Amino acid sequence: MHPNVSQGCQGGCATCSDYNGCLSCKPRLFFVLERIGMKQIGVCLSSCPSGYYGTRYPDINKCAKCKADCDTCFTRNFCTKCKSGFYLNSGKCLEKCPDGLEANNHTMECTSIVH
Amino acid sequence: CASAPNPKPGAAPSCPAQCHCEQDGIVLSVDCSELGLPEVPSALSPLTAYLDLSMNNISQLQPSAFRRLQFLEELRLSGNQISSIPGEAFSGLYSLKILMLQNNQLSRIPAEALRDLPNLQSLRLDANLISVVPEESFEGLQSLRHLWLDDNALTEIPVRALNRLPALQAMTLALNQIWHIPDYAFQNLSSLVVLHLHNNRIQHLGANGFDGLHNLETLDLNYNELLEFPGAIRTLGRLQELGFHNNNIKAIPENAFVGNPLLQTIHFYDNPIQFVGQSAFQYLPKLHTLSLNGATDIREFPDLKGTTSLEVLTLTRAGICLLPRAVCQQLPNLRVCTLHSAVPQTSFCFSSGLQHNRIHEIKADTFVQLTALDLSWNDIHFIHPDAFVTLRSLTKLDLSDNHLAALPLGGLGSLTHLKLQGNPALSEPFAEDSFPKLRVLEVPYAYQCCAYGSCGGYFRASNQWEAEGVSPEDEDPHRRALELFPGHADNHYDLEADEIQLDLEDSKLHPSIQCTPSPGPFKPCDHLFESWIIRL
Amino acid sequence: VQKAIIRVIPLKVEPIVLEGEFASVAEVTPAEGKLLQSHPLSLCNTSEDEHTESGFITIVKLEQPDRDPNPCLSLANKAKLAGERGARAILFDITDDESAADQLRKPRGLSQPVVLIRGHDAELLMGVVNKNREAHVKIEVKEPPAWPDYDVWIL
Repeated sequence: MHPNVSQGCQGGCATCSDYNGCLSCKPRLFFVLERIGMKQIGVCLSSCPSGYYGTRYPDINKCAKCKADCDTCFTRNFCTKCKSGFYLNSGKCLEKCPDGLEANNHTMECTSIVH
Repeated sequence: CASAPNPKPGAAPSCPAQCHCEQDGIVLSVDCSELGLPEVPSALSPLTAYLDLSMNNISQLQPSAFRRLQFLEELRLSGNQISSIPGEAFSGLYSLKILMLQNNQLSRIPAEALRDLPNLQSLRLDANLISVVPEESFEGLQSLRHLWLDDNALTEIPVRALNRLPALQAMTLALNQIWHIPDYAFQNLSSLVVLHLHNNRIQHLGANGFDGLHNLETLDLNYNELLEFPGAIRTLGRLQELGFHNNNIKAIPENAFVGNPLLQTIHFYDNPIQFVGQSAFQYLPKLHTLSLNGATDIREFPDLKGTTSLEVLTLTRAGICLLPRAVCQQLPNLRVCTLHSAVPQTSFCFSSGLQHNRIHEIKADTFVQLTALDLSWNDIHFIHPDAFVTLRSLTKLDLSDNHLAALPLGGLGSLTHLKLQGNPALSEPFAEDSFPKLRVLEVPYAYQCCAYGSCGGYFRASNQWEAEGVSPEDEDPHRRALELFPGHADNHYDLEADEIQLDLEDSKLHPSIQCTPSPGPFKPCDHLFESWIIRL
Repeated sequence: VQKAIIRVIPLKVEPIVLEGEFASVAEVTPAEGKLLQSHPLSLCNTSEDEHTESGFITIVKLEQPDRDPNPCLSLANKAKLAGERGARAILFDITDDESAADQLRKPRGLSQPVVLIRGHDAELLMGVVNKNREAHVKIEVKEPPAWPDYDVWIL
């Protein structure tokens, strides 16, 4: 397929090509790079994949990685769900809850100590 | 939470046609995304915990579409054509934690529909057409922590609606048309940690605009129209990241960040800043990068007392006359110090760019501990023999476009990059062993390259300074400093510290020397008829 | 122009030998490593560094210039960024963007060699990328023509 506009492009692409996949996205979608073996292609999604967070800009919407200890995040420095083995406390992933808070092993969060 | 009903023994939970379902213990993950569905499938199992209906053609939600899904924790409806949501659409979703409605056609917050979601933590409403946020919009959402309202049509901060979200920790209102932040706009948001307001039209900010944000750590005001320094930040005692680049701010006042001792990064490039208060950047013990470019009214070097972690200081096109001797002691961690200004007598810490000044002489003890020095485009006639003697770690030296007739070699043994072209009187060739570690050399005459390896084969013409393909005349002096300290010619003024570290180490040097102008048939190495004049 | 020999050794398929040319933006040196494709938009300041271990050779298939009217970085800076992210060499498939050859002619002393490939050789290489999970690449310097010996110098 010769690189051209919109024919045979993945759903969210505005432009794409055989080898590179999406080159640009339809409005309001997030551009993500996906690696499959040696290949690296562009994909357009309505929300970023797990382990990534989205930032919207006037000209492009991009996904970027959360920190290594975080599964889903709002920004790189603010986690919304930690990887297993970590407790979530105000956007941070901790191996141990700080003094004054207790570890809730069901929700994997640090919560106020209920007396 | 309510216990699961007992499915008939052996009966697998039903999976809607075309959708992809995965069992996770007793609950089900259902993916019906990108199927062109016109409405929510009916045959949804009550054991569904995750339901993805994104990127379909759903424009309406049936009133009881999800009534039986008591265990549903995540519902994705992004990328559809939903313009309104009936009041009971989400009733019964007591376990719902994540609701994604981004990239639809909503013009107002569906307050009725959101009323009864006691466990909702994340609500995505970004990329809609929302211009109306009724006061009761988030009334039932006492667990809400993360709210996306970016890329909508808001012109005001929805103060009353937001003040009912005591658990909110992160919010973005970016990419709207908000023009001002009134006093006490976020008064009840005491748990808020991240607030993004970039790409709005904010011109005015109330002096008490950020009161109440006791836990805020990240504030993004980039790409707005602020005319004055956002003084309201003084109440943000836990602020760590602050951005107000690309605004219209002309001055940073004295004691600007006195209320923000935990600041680690401040991005404020691309502002027409002329004046910076002497005490503006004092007592910021966590700050590691400070870029003050084009602040033409600065007369004195900012007092950085108590800002001891600074590693990169960029202060170009200012009007500084004297660099205090104590600057190295005040900034023990400084690795890069870029100064574009007329500085007759200075001593620098690690590396410096002094292009386009009026320096005409360099005295004996001028430089200490430098790794990179750019003195191009001055009027230097004379360099004291000991000027570089103390510079054991100098690796890059640019003396191009001056009036040198000789170059003292003392202290230059570690050079990897040397640039001398543009000094017509500097005609003597150098001995091959003058610069044992040299990799890149630019000299006034081709024959001066002959000492550095054969005149053919891999001898590549090279213009090896990091400069982009731009001729010196039309080069913006500020940009040259940037290219001496790599990042990229296209990046912002604010450089990433690790990028600079990477280049200063230059770990991947290659042994062959790149020398220009390279000799050739018309610029031979061996002079003809015993006279080197013919060679020129 | 300094020619390059590109030996492509896919994991389970016969090796192939292709030809390209070294771009003078970088040094002319041999290189070897695991082949990885990079999307043109992955080599931008703001794009994520995948943190692949270093020591790979990256192939970038350039699109027609009108499809990326304002690229985030110049090709020279994209090559530099790839080197900083661990690439031992950068291959540019310039079949659809011949102007790339001019952009990469001005020497900048980049340490990692930059090799341009086009036409049938490029198609074969991208075919390997498309159809195989892994491949190893060796870039060699094709012997340059000897330095011409002039007896008489005309001034």
